Amino acid sequence: MSSILQNLVNQPYQHGFVTDIEADIAPKGLSEDTIRLISAKKNEPEWLLELRLKAYRHWLKMEEPQWPNVKYPKIDFQAISYYSAPKKKKTLASMDEVDPELLRTFEKLGVPMNERAKLAGVAVDVIFDSVSVATTYKAKLAEVGIIFCSISEAVQEHPELVRKYLGSVVPVGDNYYAALNSAVFTDGSFCFIPKGVKCPMDLSTYFRINTENSGQFERTLIVAEEGASVSYLEGCTAPKFDTNQLHAAVVELIALDNADIKYSTVQNWYAGDENGLGGIFNFVTKRGLCKGVNSRISWTQVETGSAITWKYPSCVLRGDNSVGEFYSVALTNHRQQADTGTKMIHIGKNTRSTIVSKGISAGHSNNSYRGLVRIAPVATGARNYSRCDSMLIGDQCSANTFPYIQVNNPGATVEHEASTSKIGEDQLFYFAQRGVGAEEAVSMIINGFCKDVFQQLPMEFAVEATKLLGLKLEGSVG
Amino acid sequence: MIYQDSRTLLAVRDLRATVNGIEILKGIELTVKSGEVHAIMGPNGSGKSTFAKVLAGHPAYVVTGGEVAFDGGPLLELQPEERSRRGIFLGFQYPIEIPGVANSQFLRLAYNTLQVQRGKDELDPLEFDDFVREKMKLLEMNPDFLDRSVNEGFSGGEKKRNEILQMSLLDPKLAILDETDSGLDIDALRVVATGVNHLATRDNAIILVTHYQRLLNYITPDFVHVMDSGRIVKTGGKELALELEARGYEWVGAETSASAAANAGAAR
Amino acid sequence: MTEAGTGNYLDSLMRGQAPLQAASASPLWLKQLRARAVERVASLTLPNTRDEDWRFTDLLPLTQLSWRPVQGAALISPQELERCALPEAAARLVFVDGRYAPQHSFNHAGLTVENLPAGMTAQGAIVEAELARHAEFEHDAFAALNTAFLQDAALIIAPRNAVLEAPVQVLFVSTQQETASYPRCLVIAQEGSELTLVEEFVALHQGAGFSSAVTEMALADNARVRHVRVQNDSTAAFHIASCAVSLAKASRYQAVSVALGARLSRYNLSVLLAEAGAECSIDGLALIGGRQLADSHTLIDHAKPHGISRQLHKCIVDGAAHAVFNGKIMVRPGAQRTDSSQSSRNLLLSGKARVDTKPQLEIFADDVKCAHGATVGQLDADEVFYLRSRGLSDAAARKLLTYAFGAEVIERIAIASLRARLERAVQAQTGEAS
Repeated sequence: MSSILQNLVNQPYQHGFVTDIEADIAPKGLSEDTIRLISAKKNEPEWLLELRLKAYRHWLKMEEPQWPNVKYPKIDFQAISYYSAPKKKKTLASMDEVDPELLRTFEKLGVPMNERAKLAGVAVDVIFDSVSVATTYKAKLAEVGIIFCSISEAVQEHPELVRKYLGSVVPVGDNYYAALNSAVFTDGSFCFIPKGVKCPMDLSTYFRINTENSGQFERTLIVAEEGASVSYLEGCTAPKFDTNQLHAAVVELIALDNADIKYSTVQNWYAGDENGLGGIFNFVTKRGLCKGVNSRISWTQVETGSAITWKYPSCVLRGDNSVGEFYSVALTNHRQQADTGTKMIHIGKNTRSTIVSKGISAGHSNNSYRGLVRIAPVATGARNYSRCDSMLIGDQCSANTFPYIQVNNPGATVEHEASTSKIGEDQLFYFAQRGVGAEEAVSMIINGFCKDVFQQLPMEFAVEATKLLGLKLEGSVG
Repeated sequence: MIYQDSRTLLAVRDLRATVNGIEILKGIELTVKSGEVHAIMGPNGSGKSTFAKVLAGHPAYVVTGGEVAFDGGPLLELQPEERSRRGIFLGFQYPIEIPGVANSQFLRLAYNTLQVQRGKDELDPLEFDDFVREKMKLLEMNPDFLDRSVNEGFSGGEKKRNEILQMSLLDPKLAILDETDSGLDIDALRVVATGVNHLATRDNAIILVTHYQRLLNYITPDFVHVMDSGRIVKTGGKELALELEARGYEWVGAETSASAAANAGAAR
Repeated sequence: MTEAGTGNYLDSLMRGQAPLQAASASPLWLKQLRARAVERVASLTLPNTRDEDWRFTDLLPLTQLSWRPVQGAALISPQELERCALPEAAARLVFVDGRYAPQHSFNHAGLTVENLPAGMTAQGAIVEAELARHAEFEHDAFAALNTAFLQDAALIIAPRNAVLEAPVQVLFVSTQQETASYPRCLVIAQEGSELTLVEEFVALHQGAGFSSAVTEMALADNARVRHVRVQNDSTAAFHIASCAVSLAKASRYQAVSVALGARLSRYNLSVLLAEAGAECSIDGLALIGGRQLADSHTLIDHAKPHGISRQLHKCIVDGAAHAVFNGKIMVRPGAQRTDSSQSSRNLLLSGKARVDTKPQLEIFADDVKCAHGATVGQLDADEVFYLRSRGLSDAAARKLLTYAFGAEVIERIAIASLRARLERAVQAQTGEAS
């Protein structure tokens, strides 16, 4: 790899600072007592504690999955603290009472916690370590019947809704990390869009891990009732530590008849240094259920951070004519490892799904697409189109594609295409010969490569994602 | 055309270059003046394409000796993009495919980069669109090709037309066209040649690197050079190309090795 | 596959086979090889659906059956031989229930085409250098079984620069129900040689049977081998086979494999492009119905630069049949300028038919061109309509289009008589389909 490429991929992580704030941290270790402690701290009803304990007992019997194409040292689940919350003096009456240190933290990260902030039009729920610290525009959204709050609050205020839907898409024993999350989740966002309501603004959650040796286990639940629609954004950052932090989140989406949920993520957890020291282990279960007819769930993700990413945002297309989409850019550099993709489970008739995955590997990284398209025997008329492209920058990285296609119905059509391309000396020389420098050439090639995915992102996110990829690749091309 | 008042654009003295440690260019001498059209011919592996790439600054080649002056200044120390911006254009033998980058986007970026360099205003997408469509007419190009990715899925002819379109946009002082005729059918060859002839002026110069004489039926060279084993071994007028077509390259090689042997004999 | 102790199905297979005759005549290295294989069989177990490589192919039905030793002479009738013989063949080796049948075999090829024990007397050193060097049995229970029983086997050696246009046919015939056999074939193509191998597996009965076949091919620099493999076992049989091919510099391997028979078939084809500039094209067709399962696992392993690989795999699945395809393309570090493309095309003809396909790429080099694609679907409605508008019945239109779908692979076979035979087989089977 030539020096221009080298320089282009090596930009220091910009969100790596630690906020000095007093936190209420539970002792390290996991047991039924830890779970009871979390549940008690959050003043949870008995049924939720039961759900947690059921998940925990399930988890004890499960084995860590070995099939992902990633390597990491064994995680000591007893060395993790399962609860960390910034200490607050009293219940907040308004945003002005948020700890100024926290406000500064999020200002630095560019997250508008202040409702008078310039970036209006987006309601934000902010999760710091394990706890939601603020939610903006709550009152305004409530006027149209939308509930947008932290999940802890939802448990207190809307227990019937939470109880009805929590764990209905990702059961407590679904997989190793989902079970762990179900046992110990501390906070996350809850959105409920009632029948017929089109959410007037994008909803957003910003996740921040701050404490070393703490895990982040957030839980997000989004329900769109009949005819409702919502666009939801998620952003993630963490400070630089030499140790690894575990992030095992669960996101459940439920779309009833004619409902539409769009879920966008820009994931930029700390990825570790160029030698692979530190970084987040990002083991996430995201699944949407298109429960109703004509419903639609669309996942868009730009994955640039984390030492290890293990994540398959999926759609279960149960309602007839429902639509599932997955648009993904996954960039790995240095020693990062990503095993990410999607599952599209076609059950309803005439269900359709689209998968567009763009993997970019640089440095010594390892980037795998893993996807499943399953057409059930009853899913007559189902269609899937998948396109998985890989781009390699340098000859020390790898790009893998593992598409599983399982078709059980002769009336279905499934198409999968994959290709590889590169940014190498010849491409850059061609640009240079036409007077265009390497940085501009790389940015143009990368944006062209990712275009189909970026088009799916809300405007500001698309701009941010483009910038982020540029920063991430700085130093790796040439 | 050879003009009396022309100035020297390119002066190559004893140029030597290697790739992966193997010497390919073994002392090239060449002078090109404004207004001239030069053809460099030679058998496969004689170093023609290498010479073209070395002039454009391809990073895979290491210059190990000699000097090159371009437009009055030293060339070899410049980065490839600086050479381009000073007016060297290489028409690629195998134009690179760049999936995802629209041709219009690429052409505009290249054009505007040069405009800035020349202290002129950049064109916005609409202005540029009008401008480039005019240029495309000359090359009988279908406008839909602006929206396609750079060279991706282009036929051989489309790729070469795209190269000449770029040449017309960048208006270089020296255009080096590497095997521009390869892979072209007779119609495409005529269109490409017409484009090149149209772009040749008193102030610029063209070097055609080609294996066959065919292209020279359409673009008349002032000088024909024969390359063999990394050197220019024979120079003549356009009639030399016809002779090569009729007799092949072996006789030139035989002639030069015979004269080299004679020289060696004389030296002894 | 997990390691396990005794008492598993593999042991019963080991016990079920008659002891090797004349094994004492084998050279020491071969005895040692068998002994190593016997050891491996003892410590391996049958794979199950928890093994990623066997996820969709459940061997449980196999474990409920047992096999009796083969008896009597290795003979078939002239009519039976006539049905499978290739008139174009320059040489033929016939194995009946795993045993060499010299009276049915001949050799006008001018190459070594012999039963292994006979061939070894003259070519011992060459055989020793290649046999069991390509099809590893360390972790593969079926290859280990085959190697443990290694006795009669097809041996083909093309010496340096020998070019044979006419095909060499190797015919493995099963005549006795409820027996197990272990077909084996070794092809050594020395520098610059060229040959065509047709391997056929046929059953002359409709009963159950088990075969575990292993084929190995070593192609030296600039060698070229065309390989046609036809599996037409009994529809009650279990057919597990692997073929390992190793390609030296600028050698070329072209294969077409067709799976028609067996209740459960599994074919593992792995091609190692071990040196620069090697090329392979491997095509496959599975045409199955009823309750058949046809599983094809292929690996194209680009280990060195400038390799080219092409693959087209097609499945036509009717009834409640199940086709499995797993095609892995590996581009190892440093295998620059690799050019690889792979396509998996699947046609489902009935509501109970099922296909699981997984074309996968693993790429560790940046300057490569790799593409793969997979489709699953039914016949194109527009094409059916077009034919009907020209007066064909719906059934005839579908039959024709299904036939054309399969013919794309069969057309790649260069031997006219075999192509005609296979085309008839496809027609017969698609005729039932419509």
